[in-house]
Amino acid sequence: MKTKKYDVLNTETGRLDPTIYSDEEIYKEEMEKIFGRAWLLIGHESLIEKPGDFFHTYMGEQPVILSRDKTGAINAMLNICRHRGARVVRTDDGSCKSFVCPYHAWTYGLDGKLEWVPGEEELYDGTIDRAEMGLKKARVATYAGLIFATWDHDAPSLEDYLGDARWYLDLEFNRSAKGTKAFGPHKWVIPINWKTAVDNCSDWYHVPYSHASAANALTRIMGAPRMTSDVLWKKKGRAAFVNGHQVCFFRLPDDSFDGNPYGMDSTEENHAEAIERLGELRGDGVMLGTHSLFPNTVLGFRIVIPRGPNETEFWHFSHTNAADTPEKQREVALEHAAQNGAGGHFESDDIDNWNQVSQSGKYAGAREIGQYINMGIGNTTTDDVFPGQLSDRFVSEQNHRFFYSRWQEFMNADSWDDIPLDPMKANFEGTASMDG
Amino acid sequence: MTVTTKGALGELFDESLYSTINRFYIAEAWLLDERKLRAWLDLFTEEMVYYMPRRKNVNRKELAREIPERGTDLPFFEDNRKLMEVRIQRLESGTAWAEEPPSRTRHLFGNLVIEKVEDDGTVHAKTAFICHRSHGETTTALYSGYRVDILHPVDGSWKISDRTVVLDANVILDKNIAIFF
Repeated sequence: MKTKKYDVLNTETGRLDPTIYSDEEIYKEEMEKIFGRAWLLIGHESLIEKPGDFFHTYMGEQPVILSRDKTGAINAMLNICRHRGARVVRTDDGSCKSFVCPYHAWTYGLDGKLEWVPGEEELYDGTIDRAEMGLKKARVATYAGLIFATWDHDAPSLEDYLGDARWYLDLEFNRSAKGTKAFGPHKWVIPINWKTAVDNCSDWYHVPYSHASAANALTRIMGAPRMTSDVLWKKKGRAAFVNGHQVCFFRLPDDSFDGNPYGMDSTEENHAEAIERLGELRGDGVMLGTHSLFPNTVLGFRIVIPRGPNETEFWHFSHTNAADTPEKQREVALEHAAQNGAGGHFESDDIDNWNQVSQSGKYAGAREIGQYINMGIGNTTTDDVFPGQLSDRFVSEQNHRFFYSRWQEFMNADSWDDIPLDPMKANFEGTASMDG
Repeated sequence: MTVTTKGALGELFDESLYSTINRFYIAEAWLLDERKLRAWLDLFTEEMVYYMPRRKNVNRKELAREIPERGTDLPFFEDNRKLMEVRIQRLESGTAWAEEPPSRTRHLFGNLVIEKVEDDGTVHAKTAFICHRSHGETTTALYSGYRVDILHPVDGSWKISDRTVVLDANVILDKNIAIFF
């Protein structure tokens, strides 16, 4: 059966159909066509350090157990018992030898294999094929400690999926051979369509007004850098877009917010390592700004978990450079949380905007007038040094348009064969790799 | 004359102290609900910490790690005086959209237990609370939890130097925690 074709964005005018935020049928299709196919960020290696450790997470709406088995391998498994569908794991995390379903005690190994069924001989007469009845497993891959999974066995490798976006992601996640450490997450439920939190990752247009109260108070009391329009609109960085992933980057030293001579690094030593691992330009001259990974990883290490067209569970992790001292890591983590956690100065002020953008799809008047993401339209460029499709200015709606075009590519595709990947062209200077 | 006895729960029970701390918390609730946030912040010392840990879903036998130890995790709040000033100044600005227009809240603080009184008069007290938040037209959230405070007698009243707020929730069912407890 041919897939229904969506045409929700006019790429010449930037007009967007808000029905995509509120329609129940579209939402159901997203769960299959996007969350059933894409590589999804589901955790971090530091959350399951030792064999036996597990962490409960989600792939789209679906509950997933992330575990490290006896061999040290990482497994992502649907947290649904093969017998009757009860959840095998009911805690946030822990450490164990096997997973026992609380309903009838079907018992699975850390790798998801069905190990034991009560009454296997006495009640089932030996008819259970245990080899066929393990927990449903997802494909797993890691990038610099971040753990991704996909249900689609035809999906490209994670390396190809991230593509040249990794050139930018390395700026934050791959600075040290020690990797990063994850703290958290905060978990809270917000009344928004998941996409509004994702496209917002490239939206620096809203910052001087939506976040004025937070930025101004932080400047006045803490001496934090100003985030006013006269500062932000002149940034030399750009928005870049690769394979559905949105990146906003800053150029150092010109765009530096706080004048730290080591850019993102806290010490001269860390800075030297970052240059060795990323090369001179990436280690010293570019800073990762806000970013998202298609479909639902937002700004750093945060996940928006869809719960319905107008309900999303937000997970906020803070991630820190493991090369930093524990005290420094804690300071960074707490700063992240104070700004963008459940009670964050910045995050708190976004929710009603996203809620109302999402709700607008329900109203005939809003569907008639549409929404507009047309800033900087027609001005996208490419560059020999900076990978991806680049905006002409730092503040732009280029990535909003590309995000919804990518959404449409997934929704209109019959399979991964119909989903294009940008060719990899970036020059990955330095020693950092997918493996950290 | 103060009468100190053991209360029903075995806690220290001094009628006069119990009454004064109870009145302090009642006054605090009215400050929050009448949106007198600067006056509310003045109930804390300069060295204050306002702390709200996460609360994890763990098995009964592992309850010791339900509330992660301070300093090891990512709490919802671990704010010093300066960060709290940021929060209050932000809310006063008129453009803190999470609370613009402001919520209607009702805090009920009760079940006061005074756990310890130190020689210098420092009081360790815990209270349970229910708080209802109504925001915008129809958004509501219901919070419940408990608070553990360290209070110091200052100029005939009390100042809080350390407050821990523990919510009775794993996933927070509110769009943001833009109110205080």
